Amino acid sequence: MDFSFPKEYQLFRRMARDFAQNEIKPRAKAIDRDHTVPHDIIKKAAKLGLLGVPFPQKYGGMGAGETGYCILAEELGRVCSSTATVIGAHIGIAAMSIHLDGTEEQKQKYLVPLAQGTAIGAFGLTEAQAGSDAAAIKTTAVRDGDHYVLNGTKQFITNGDIADIMTVMALTDPSLGAYGGITAFIVETDTPGFSIGTLENKMGIRGSSTAETVFEDVRVPKENVLGGFGAGFLTFMKTLDVGRASLGAACLGGAQAAMEASIQWARAREQFGVPIATKQSVHFMIADMAVEIEALRSLIYRTAWMIDTGQPHILEASACKLFGSEVAHRCIDKAMQIHGALGYSRDYEIERGWRDQRITEIYEGTNEIQRIVVAANIFRPYGLRIPT
Amino acid sequence: MDFSLNEDQLMFKKMFADFCTKEIRPRGEEIDQSEVPPVDLLEKAVDQGFCAALVPEELDGCGLDIYTYMLMLEEVARADMSTALILSIHNSLVLKPLIDHGTDDQRARYLEPLSFGEMIGAFALTEPGTGSDAAAMVTTAVLDGDDYILDGTKVWVSNGEIAGAILIFAQAEGGITAFLVDAGTPGLKVGYREKTLGMRGVPCNTLYLDHARVPAANRLGNEGQGLKIALQAVTLSRLGMGALALGGAERALEEAVQFSIEHIQFGVPIARKQTIQNFVADAKAEIEALRSMITHAAWLADTDQDFRLQASAVKLFGTQAASGITNRMLQVHGGYGYMKEYAIERYYRDCRALEIIDGTSQILQFLIAQDVYKAEGLEIRP
Amino acid sequence: MRIIVPIKQILDPSGLSFRRDKERMFINREEWIIDPGSKAAIEAALRLKGEEDEILALSVGQPRADDALREALAMGCDTAYLLSDEAFAAADVSVTARVLAAAVGRLGGADLIVAGRESGDTGAGQIGPRLAEAMGYAQVTDVVALAIGEDGIEATRRWGEGYAMVEAPLPVVVTVAPEAFETRLPHGARIMSAYREWDVPVWTAADLELADAALSPLLAKRAESFPPELEVGERFRGDPETVAEDVVAALKRQKAIA
Repeated sequence: MDFSFPKEYQLFRRMARDFAQNEIKPRAKAIDRDHTVPHDIIKKAAKLGLLGVPFPQKYGGMGAGETGYCILAEELGRVCSSTATVIGAHIGIAAMSIHLDGTEEQKQKYLVPLAQGTAIGAFGLTEAQAGSDAAAIKTTAVRDGDHYVLNGTKQFITNGDIADIMTVMALTDPSLGAYGGITAFIVETDTPGFSIGTLENKMGIRGSSTAETVFEDVRVPKENVLGGFGAGFLTFMKTLDVGRASLGAACLGGAQAAMEASIQWARAREQFGVPIATKQSVHFMIADMAVEIEALRSLIYRTAWMIDTGQPHILEASACKLFGSEVAHRCIDKAMQIHGALGYSRDYEIERGWRDQRITEIYEGTNEIQRIVVAANIFRPYGLRIPT
Repeated sequence: MDFSLNEDQLMFKKMFADFCTKEIRPRGEEIDQSEVPPVDLLEKAVDQGFCAALVPEELDGCGLDIYTYMLMLEEVARADMSTALILSIHNSLVLKPLIDHGTDDQRARYLEPLSFGEMIGAFALTEPGTGSDAAAMVTTAVLDGDDYILDGTKVWVSNGEIAGAILIFAQAEGGITAFLVDAGTPGLKVGYREKTLGMRGVPCNTLYLDHARVPAANRLGNEGQGLKIALQAVTLSRLGMGALALGGAERALEEAVQFSIEHIQFGVPIARKQTIQNFVADAKAEIEALRSMITHAAWLADTDQDFRLQASAVKLFGTQAASGITNRMLQVHGGYGYMKEYAIERYYRDCRALEIIDGTSQILQFLIAQDVYKAEGLEIRP
Repeated sequence: MRIIVPIKQILDPSGLSFRRDKERMFINREEWIIDPGSKAAIEAALRLKGEEDEILALSVGQPRADDALREALAMGCDTAYLLSDEAFAAADVSVTARVLAAAVGRLGGADLIVAGRESGDTGAGQIGPRLAEAMGYAQVTDVVALAIGEDGIEATRRWGEGYAMVEAPLPVVVTVAPEAFETRLPHGARIMSAYREWDVPVWTAADLELADAALSPLLAKRAESFPPELEVGERFRGDPETVAEDVVAALKRQKAIA
């Protein structure tokens, strides 16, 4: 067993870390305060190949697989959750869906520009009445000649307002419901009929946009059906299943940053004549952070390896997201307590990390859904079906 | 043992609830977004006696007992946490010390304006180098004729920029001493307002004292009594933080329960899912426990018994419970809980402050442990 | 145009600490990096590179220097060679320069050689000039800006408290000021390819036809010590008024204020 990263991944981590620390970290506070997507940073990331990390080089990607992608997610998560979210949605679910289920033509036409970052991607699944219950979507796609006509509204779509390409789930046969009735489509957002509705005002990840996207008679060519016709449920489940691992990696980065900040503050801050780091209340908190981070790190990169070597990974990837988000929560919360009042101040980075972290337990499948996924995978071999 | 509220308490509770629901609650979102202190609400609150809760009736106050005061804070917190915190600081940390330790002259000068809305009170203890370790403060007060000259910097002074009178603690020759300082005193400058995660309607300012001249007639208690006065005030304040935690937790539970009934997923309201029910049940149990704790501690206070340990326990337990409850109630809301149009979003941020202000949970752990071991004859130091 | 960039791999100084009381250096974190001067040289070369040009990176080092060369490839160099042999273990700067010269010779010479002005660890600053002498090339050192001109290169080099514009014919050795060239990050795809697809050939003393005599160092280290402690700056003591006056007077003496 060799637990070390191959050298190309070590060099890649250094590059990703350099980029994150030098280009993004100094801007993170302003990105949050100004509530704007840092387009220039995204462009710089694209120039380094960072928008296509997991995808094969022949489709304009980096060829670094899930392992490379988790490394990027971790390094981004250390400095700016907003940037991590924008890039994460772009790579992890939008482009990923095309990578997993696209035809050769679709990959050439859409995956290449997404991987090279000349186009930005979004993933359109959620609707007002279909959150955890993703199968309850109502957006329809009706065949009309060589096109499908899409009508409906998607909600809470990351990158919804900045995306050029969007993978959209729509009902092609309402009578069949989730299994057989949903189809995935690749939509170019400059198609007439596509518009943006509300842009959400969120607690955190404020440098990423969360948009309502409206489809009014949007005509999509039949060649843009992604995956099997009527098999949209499979496409999005597959995409979400693998997307979870990298979300956990971003949480790992955030937890690590929280711990490092706590270590430095605890060393520097003195009360009662000593650095507060010498108080058990403080260093036990830090010790607990360190232990959980180690466990999470092992979970993430073993899962990435399983994905890269084609092994079944649904339970493990779900665990990455579930455990990762909860570890990140505990770490940033402890970090806030260690920093005292300064942890509560917007002049310091801790409160932003605290706000940014909270969504990780909710998006891309709430942690309650993750528990259902894990339980379902546990009981499936026994023939017992876990209901939602 | 009779745990029921008496007629007066019932009347006050209803009055508080009505006022808060009608006047304060609808303003919560706007107070948080604008970060403008709700001074106009405080003015309205004055008419209901909110700013004179603990002032004895013979001095024209509400004359509430501690328990009813806790009911008041709970109701305000249920409506809006920032407003509750402003009122708690004003009543527990400024008015109460004035009532307990003020000379007739001081009471004559300050009680009325503080009680009837002309003045809000603020409490200045913390310094850049001394948070938990308050006894090591370095702000000085040097006697000069009939005045003291105050020099130093205080930070995280809640209510700072809306205060008309500030209770400031400084090292005089005889030790730490409390002073009631008018906001307009030459040499006193209210400076930088902190930008906070939550409680955004409460201004927290840095105070600069540059040769500020404070008449000796404004010294509260004797030289060297300051820390004792502060501790006494903070004890009541900590119990109040428990009431804030209770109100906040109850609001969070209310929001989540409503949401879970209305929000349909998988064909049913999510209230039908066991996990949601478990979140709600755990929250309810903790709320009940906290309520009982506060009731008991308040009774001790109202029967002139030492309630310091109980106040610390309420603060420690209650504030951690509120953080946990607002967190889980946010989870019940799913993605909506992250959006600013939903009250739970700001209650999550607001309640988090309670584990830090007025003594961090870690300091409270120390204080409680200290009391436990003291009873066994062992002295422990911070 | 053929551009050769000799690079050095050094221990990351940020992972080191020096304790005067223990009289030694501690390696808190052992990480090997491309020397900042060398990296600046790669960057300078990349900025000049046109369609027809090729950049070759060379390094004299232990087998681990392979990583430095892979990083150079990832940054944009076209080929890389590791010059490594146990016989090079005792090399001082004169030997290193001789090894590099042999490699340049074996490659058929270069139009331009770009190196760092001095390395971050030993700081001798001699590789560039020694290489130029060995190859018989022109040399321009401590360059902060570099361009290809009509008849060779146009370089801006530091000269006293200012700068001088120097023109030199090809072939030429240029050493660059590390701080003058903001180095690029390597493209992700090239990082993967650098390890998975491309080769870094290793040349030994035998490959370079270097006899033992050529590999004997000129320098022998006799001892190592910390430099004497320096009292830096001027200390002012006294009451605030006096100290303030003294500080103002000192600043005026230094012509820092009028």
